[in-house]
Amino acid sequence: MTERAEFERLALPHMDAAYTLAFWLLRSRPDAEDAVQDAYLRAFRAVRNVQGDIRPWLLKIVRNVALRKLSERARTANVIPFDAARSDRLGSERGALQVAADAPSAEDVAVEAGEQAMVRAALAELAPTFREALVLREIEALSYREIAGLTGVPIGTVMSRLARARAELRKVLARMMRRGESDAV
Amino acid sequence: MQCDRLGETIGAYLDQELDPATRGEVAAHLASCQACTALAEEIRCTSRQVAALGRERAPGRLMADVRERLAGASAAPLVPLRLPPAIHHLPLRRWLGRVAALIVCGLIAAAAVHMMSRMDSTALLERDVLAAHVRSLLQDSPTQVASSEAHTVKPWFAGRLEFAPSVKDLAAEGFPLAGARLDYIGERRVAALVYRRRLHVVNVFVWPAADAADSTPRALTLRGYNLLTWSRGGIAYWAISDLNMAELQRLQALL
Repeated sequence: MTERAEFERLALPHMDAAYTLAFWLLRSRPDAEDAVQDAYLRAFRAVRNVQGDIRPWLLKIVRNVALRKLSERARTANVIPFDAARSDRLGSERGALQVAADAPSAEDVAVEAGEQAMVRAALAELAPTFREALVLREIEALSYREIAGLTGVPIGTVMSRLARARAELRKVLARMMRRGESDAV
Repeated sequence: MQCDRLGETIGAYLDQELDPATRGEVAAHLASCQACTALAEEIRCTSRQVAALGRERAPGRLMADVRERLAGASAAPLVPLRLPPAIHHLPLRRWLGRVAALIVCGLIAAAAVHMMSRMDSTALLERDVLAAHVRSLLQDSPTQVASSEAHTVKPWFAGRLEFAPSVKDLAAEGFPLAGARLDYIGERRVAALVYRRRLHVVNVFVWPAADAADSTPRALTLRGYNLLTWSRGGIAYWAISDLNMAELQRLQALL
């Protein structure tokens, strides 16, 4: 009982962070909610004497749950021709799955014309590895070392992934801006 | 340091993740190279744009859901059973009382589990029967062998089942035999005899149940379908149809 209270005290304040990572990996709010619930339950069962900031550890569990969901989804998509019309809704030439993207579509972007909406749409287009790197660094402000521990890769890989992720994001944003301008003409 | 060697270190430089020596080199290069300075500015801008998105707000109910699941997880298992520390000092009579109480608890639990599993297995069987019936209606034909001849249908089962169901054509009584197929109910292969009554389809599932005593038909309704189940001569029968119960009972009497 006190164990649970202690866990809640440490872990519940990070729910937005957990939800954010799950959302950007899965790009679906219902799936992100499921992932967060599963992750918290797992974390609670695994937790023993965690002290200080448990956010990176918690995010690692969230990530594992979300990635498992992603690969399940990919398996399903192999069997069923899944929302073929929607799969390139964001105009991505990348093979990344675009299932149930809650991120705004290009049309929404044009309507909202907000920079944030455009950044969201661009981020949603990136490959999961790049989305994850950007969320952990820019939104969660984790250090390279923490990101390396969390994603299980060397620090050098974190550095190059981040560099590529930022470059990709700039490229997608530039393309969207061009399209936005040509739409306006 | 050359521009092409700078590569991904600009980002790390901006993130203040470089060791002092490399940091100095990059800073020196940036001071002298306009292209790389522009790139650094772009990277900084991208970082700010993503950071400006901020965290997503978890929906309010998520917190409640998580807490509820945590409460469920901590209430039930995993907590090691803690015996009172002085238990070995208890007098014998209290020991015996405790043991007796434990045994009673165990018996009650066993009885409950037994009853629940029996209820479960009956309910599962009913569901299997219903599913098999509905599935047969979803197919192009509910039969694998279409024949009104009992002499055609009965031999068809030979080699497909480990028992020989009795097959009767009841056309004269208004229940023409449409044919038969194999189905899978209660984790075993069963014979499915298909009869018709006007536009209604009746599935009669038959399998050996050696331990079942002869029983009078039990009637039930599931999702609008009428079911009759009985056993006779070590064979279990389940008849299911959207036919009304009275006519289903007539068929049962004929079988």
